[in-house]
Amino acid sequence: MALSTYIEAITTGLAEEMRRDERVFIIGEDVGVMGGVFKATKGLYEEFGADRVIDSPLAEGIIISSAIGAALAGMRPVPEIQFADFVTPAMDAITQQAAKLRYRSGGTQTCPITVRICYGGGVGGGLYHSQTNTTWFIHEPGLVVVAPSTPYDAKGLLKSAIRDDNPVIYFEHKKLYRSIKEELPEEDYTVPLGKAAVRRQGHDLTAISYGYTLQLTLQAAEKMKEKGVDVEVIDLRTLSPLDKDTILESVAKTNRAVIVHEDHRTLGVGAEISAIIAEEAFDCLDAPVVRVTAPDVPAIPFSAPLEKFYMPSVEKIVTALERTTEY
Amino acid sequence: MATKARERIERPSRETAQQASSGNGAEPLSAELLKRLYSYMLKCRTVEERARVLFKQGKFAGNYYAAVGQEATEVGCSIDLEEQDCIAPSHRDFISHIMKGTPLKFMFAQLYARKTSPDQGRSSPAHCGYAPLNIITPASTIAAQLNIGTGVALAYKMQKKPNIVVAFSGDGSTSLGSWHEALNFAGVARLPIVYVVQNNLWAESVSVKLQTAVEDLSVKAQAYGFPGVTVDGNDVVEVYRAAREAIHRARSGGGPTLIECKTYRWYGHSEIDPAKYRSPEEVEYWKSKDPIPNMERYLEERKLWADGWKQELTAQFNKEIDEAVEFAENSPYPEPEECLDHVYDFSIRERELNRKPWTFRNAVATPANQ
Repeated sequence: MALSTYIEAITTGLAEEMRRDERVFIIGEDVGVMGGVFKATKGLYEEFGADRVIDSPLAEGIIISSAIGAALAGMRPVPEIQFADFVTPAMDAITQQAAKLRYRSGGTQTCPITVRICYGGGVGGGLYHSQTNTTWFIHEPGLVVVAPSTPYDAKGLLKSAIRDDNPVIYFEHKKLYRSIKEELPEEDYTVPLGKAAVRRQGHDLTAISYGYTLQLTLQAAEKMKEKGVDVEVIDLRTLSPLDKDTILESVAKTNRAVIVHEDHRTLGVGAEISAIIAEEAFDCLDAPVVRVTAPDVPAIPFSAPLEKFYMPSVEKIVTALERTTEY
Repeated sequence: MATKARERIERPSRETAQQASSGNGAEPLSAELLKRLYSYMLKCRTVEERARVLFKQGKFAGNYYAAVGQEATEVGCSIDLEEQDCIAPSHRDFISHIMKGTPLKFMFAQLYARKTSPDQGRSSPAHCGYAPLNIITPASTIAAQLNIGTGVALAYKMQKKPNIVVAFSGDGSTSLGSWHEALNFAGVARLPIVYVVQNNLWAESVSVKLQTAVEDLSVKAQAYGFPGVTVDGNDVVEVYRAAREAIHRARSGGGPTLIECKTYRWYGHSEIDPAKYRSPEEVEYWKSKDPIPNMERYLEERKLWADGWKQELTAQFNKEIDEAVEFAENSPYPEPEECLDHVYDFSIRERELNRKPWTFRNAVATPANQ
């Protein structure tokens, strides 16, 4: 066992997969000589060389497109999008090509890529270095979307993504990079795609989240424990396809649900989970489903009080948990 | 590297062909190859004219995007490809399958949206891919195939394979940012790829003069650091020579080439486009430059033409097409539930068709097919 940060888990996960499988390569902006703007690919250029850790031109479209083509021809590319805010030039490649290639070719042509996207606010990154746009990708069947919340999952989900035959969008939260540590096994392990995790058992109320806000939700659950409320916390881990069974089993037990995410409210994953619960577990509910999300504003503003207002927080989550409990 | 295409275009094609074979120290093409170039052009024309008739007869739905008039570029650029080379086609490059070797029966099954087609009825007619021969299934999003093709070329280079990619696009595609991104990266990484722009003067209804302020699109290659050449796209010998050089360059590690073929599509953007934005004089001018009779005269001059050969070929092609059409017409449609297949490498049928009720009373969830 070795103590690892979230970002070290990503770096060692990449290195181990590249050692295991010579088809795996990295392409992106500043990923090579510099080792990434957050140092997620630190040391990989030195170990694997410029051919497998490719410093690409500053063009997200061809970063993803070239990965799609290379995957079609048998490689296992791991392209990096430096900030989720900069993914838009690659949206045609991701939504029209990666998500649809298997489908439109009747399963005869596929592109097993793992797109690493650094996302999330709460670090004073400003309007174009803080966005959470997971919803765009959840809305595209054909893509698997994951967002780990712990170092263990960061490594295990990354390995599963690289070994998976589907295109996977891997969201890594920049605020988690160095803020949490965890003992990780020395030996090789993976975390299954498509499976949520129950992070904390409880019988009064179900709280559902992923990524950075999952950590906030766990803190909020601790505070509720002091108030005598026993919150079950579900970490989605995979945002698409959703692990509906784990959500519904929990709601069937607790009869109350709160969903927390950093993406905007409208049509976010919280809206989908609310609809699933309403359609498939209506009679289980003792209270309305409540969402704690970022507001519907175009982006995350820079100035500290504005950013604080925007971000979900432990206090906001506690308030929602209390209201739901008291309903 | 760009040539003065306009001067060439204004010469009769016969002359151009003669010069191409004798000038510039280029080695002469074998009689067998010259005849094969002609034969493939005729086959492409025969296939497309049949497809157009079948569409107009209502035998298949959707649309068809004919490249009639552009056969010299399609044949010249793809006739030399090896089995494991890749073609990245656009919606108008259906006939590129013929040179690569895709069985005609699968091509017609694709038009007919049958289960026996390579995509099992998913993509629009003429948006045909074929995995066994590395032909990428085209998207309707313009220039996308160039970008994916560029990635295939990246893989070939990383895998140290001797294979190359030919990526087709039209004049309209060159206006897109993604067209630039693909060529720029291919230049930086010296990828084994040939970009063929079939400049047929019209992107749907918009003139090439509204796409670009340059005369020859091949000059754009200068910005990417690799050779660009403009050729008479109705002269199969000239196209072939340019393609052969570019393919050799790509295969031997010399990097990409941009070939602009100046040509013309005889019909509208699709079969439902009457193309009234073009003058009848312009269409007639280009029909007079039909690449097929041009090549017939070229072969006659070289004593490579035999009376009755064209009729013989046409009869043979029609027989092949008849069999392919029969295969398509007798093929079943996909089952409706196949709509749910090939989303992921695992099936979502169970999830979509049998949603689990969690309510204490009965389920209100609706299966996807109701």
